Amino acid sequence: MRVVHYLNQFFGGQGGEEAADMAPRLQDGAVGPGRLLEQVLGHNTHIVQTVIAGDNYGAEQLEALTELVVAQVREAQADLFVAGPCFEAGRYGMVAAALCKAVQSELGIPVVTGMAPENPGVDLYRQDLYIVDSGANVSAMREVLSRMGRVATKLAQHQDIGRPTDEGYIPRGILHDEFVEHTAAERLVQMLVAKTTGKPFESEFTPPAFAAVPAPAPVADLSKARVAIVTDGGLVPKGNPDHIAPYAATNWGAYDISALDDLEGEGYEVSHRGYDTRYVEQDPDRLVPVDVLRDLEKSGVVGKLHDQFISTSGLANPLANSRRLGREIAAKLKQDGVDAVILTST
Amino acid sequence: MRLTLAYHAVSDMSFGDTTQLHGSSLSIDQEALRQHLLADRRLVSVDFHIVHPGDSCRFGVVFDILEPRAKQPEDGPNFPGILGPIEMVGQGFTHVLRGVAVTVLDEGAPLAGGKLVDMSGAAGDACPYASLSHLVVVPHLGPGLERHTALHALRLASVRAAVHLAGAAVGQPVATTEVFDTPGPVVAGREALPRIAYIGQIHSRQRVAEVDEQIFYGANTVGMVPVLLHPNEWLDGAVVISHSSRGVETYFYQNHPVITELYRWHRDGEITLVGTIATMAASDNDDRARNCMLAAQQAKWALAADGVILTKYGGGAPHADMALTARMCEALGIRTTVQVEDMSRDRRAESSQLFNYAEVDAIVHVGGNDTQWAVPAVERAIGGTLEAAAALGASQRLDAARLCGVVNQQGASRLRSFVY
Repeated sequence: MRVVHYLNQFFGGQGGEEAADMAPRLQDGAVGPGRLLEQVLGHNTHIVQTVIAGDNYGAEQLEALTELVVAQVREAQADLFVAGPCFEAGRYGMVAAALCKAVQSELGIPVVTGMAPENPGVDLYRQDLYIVDSGANVSAMREVLSRMGRVATKLAQHQDIGRPTDEGYIPRGILHDEFVEHTAAERLVQMLVAKTTGKPFESEFTPPAFAAVPAPAPVADLSKARVAIVTDGGLVPKGNPDHIAPYAATNWGAYDISALDDLEGEGYEVSHRGYDTRYVEQDPDRLVPVDVLRDLEKSGVVGKLHDQFISTSGLANPLANSRRLGREIAAKLKQDGVDAVILTST
Repeated sequence: MRLTLAYHAVSDMSFGDTTQLHGSSLSIDQEALRQHLLADRRLVSVDFHIVHPGDSCRFGVVFDILEPRAKQPEDGPNFPGILGPIEMVGQGFTHVLRGVAVTVLDEGAPLAGGKLVDMSGAAGDACPYASLSHLVVVPHLGPGLERHTALHALRLASVRAAVHLAGAAVGQPVATTEVFDTPGPVVAGREALPRIAYIGQIHSRQRVAEVDEQIFYGANTVGMVPVLLHPNEWLDGAVVISHSSRGVETYFYQNHPVITELYRWHRDGEITLVGTIATMAASDNDDRARNCMLAAQQAKWALAADGVILTKYGGGAPHADMALTARMCEALGIRTTVQVEDMSRDRRAESSQLFNYAEVDAIVHVGGNDTQWAVPAVERAIGGTLEAAAALGASQRLDAARLCGVVNQQGASRLRSFVY
């Protein structure tokens, strides 16, 4: 197996923080931890090339570095790309994970990295990559590399990767079903009795943590603001011209209301399977309150009701999809000069 | 309240001249049962099929699955509010045909996504209903019926058929009985044990219940707030599933996995089962706040529960309502566990959760979106229509959620989701 390995300046033996601006340097063969990695991967495995770059360089010139690494891995005809392990080094972790993701998606070969769960690279890339939990302690290098090697070998041989606790990687957040001995009812009671009596219990699911979204500054003067209505309640013109799906919608629509003071039920329908839509179908203003906002516009409370309302169906949507829809809608509103948005949901 | 279930094990079910139970052999007089069901003039005809475990057979779309049961005549009505007068159930003697199910198909339901049972192969191994013998009932409805009227006719046919069949057991010798007995929230001599309750949703108002949609003692639950129920009432016909039956069958009310498991722990002297609360998922915020609050308050002030188990009915909004109820229980000092399924479409934990309350930290996750089977063609397929039967019988991919009992909201699932 041919391997390309990425290291930062420190693990690549080029120096500490003073060498963090170091431009990429290519070395044939294994360097530093790479020698151990070669040992744990077995005698048929060779690190054919090591790419070393400074942490600052990687963080600031990620695009150039990515291009270089992908090209090198391709040229080396590598079967595997390994980056790190990075432990708690944040810049290193971010770069290593980004490189792994790029190699994986562009070349389709297995990639593995390792870092501590607190490393910022984990939050951003855990869903896409096998990131072995390295912990914070660099002296565990051999053990960490062994785990990375085991995961890499399995990936290269197209074997199933087991559970995170068994394989030593950080959970990617992908759900896999298994049939188990006990019914859900039995598990519920067992867990509840333990919890109620103060004994330890293990939840079958731990909700992922999400970063808080900072609130923007308040609208300085609403009477001068352009206000748009955005809804995930699925209101669309009759015939659903953009074919917005009633659940797991992958698109949104912007619909002209510049000539309207009031939305009439005959002109609209609802593409959403998650709520009792009758009341909105009777009077769409209940979801997209054009009537009230026109009044507010006329009385000068709001400056201008934006010429279009934006709609999608917010039901059973994968978060990755929701994030994209949100970004697209925000970009469009920004471009249209909208100052404030009223979001209505169902 | 004390309920005795008299189990009559049925090892052999066949059509015959009379409906009777001989030892463990049940024979069914089709014609008598047909006339019994056709008393409902909305039905123009009805077909019956007998299916056994291991048969190369698939059937759907399932309207409901019931266990044939009949009350000892003086001990209360069968399915009060639907079949019988509205009187309390959950006490006295109820005869049960064990190992048998009455499964009613819905000829008016679209096959795509419709619920079914597969009796053999890998899918059959996963389906808790595949180990039962089924009397599959296929009612054919007259033309021009509104959908809810047709569904009400199916409901009536389902309970009539189940009770009629179990009538064969009344008066027969009983080999096995099981007693379900808890006096309710006040139990002397068990003060040291944790007091456990169950809060189960029985409908979701995302879909408005029809006027003739009989769910709870015959009522459609519109306008209803959470209500205290003795555990035995669930087991004995007070509740049936609504017309939206995602992940639920009446069979698992009659054999409620959570309630029967709580009874097991109760009998073992590990807990005290103090009661249950039936609630509804809401379709608007006020309804949601009210239902969740009242359910939690009843668990606290009427049942004095130390812990509750919560399950949902339906999809996403019920999921969130269940979690909010659990959160309110926790705020009142009641510990909780909740059952969730995988609500994501990308099998990502982050899309699956629908709630994130630090105190709702004991979660049983039955997954469901990662399980499919490639099933072969079967020798026998039973559908509401010939087209449905033909499509059902072909080799195809089956998602777990379509197979009755696999991703079950009542606690029957042996499926578990692991986060990778």
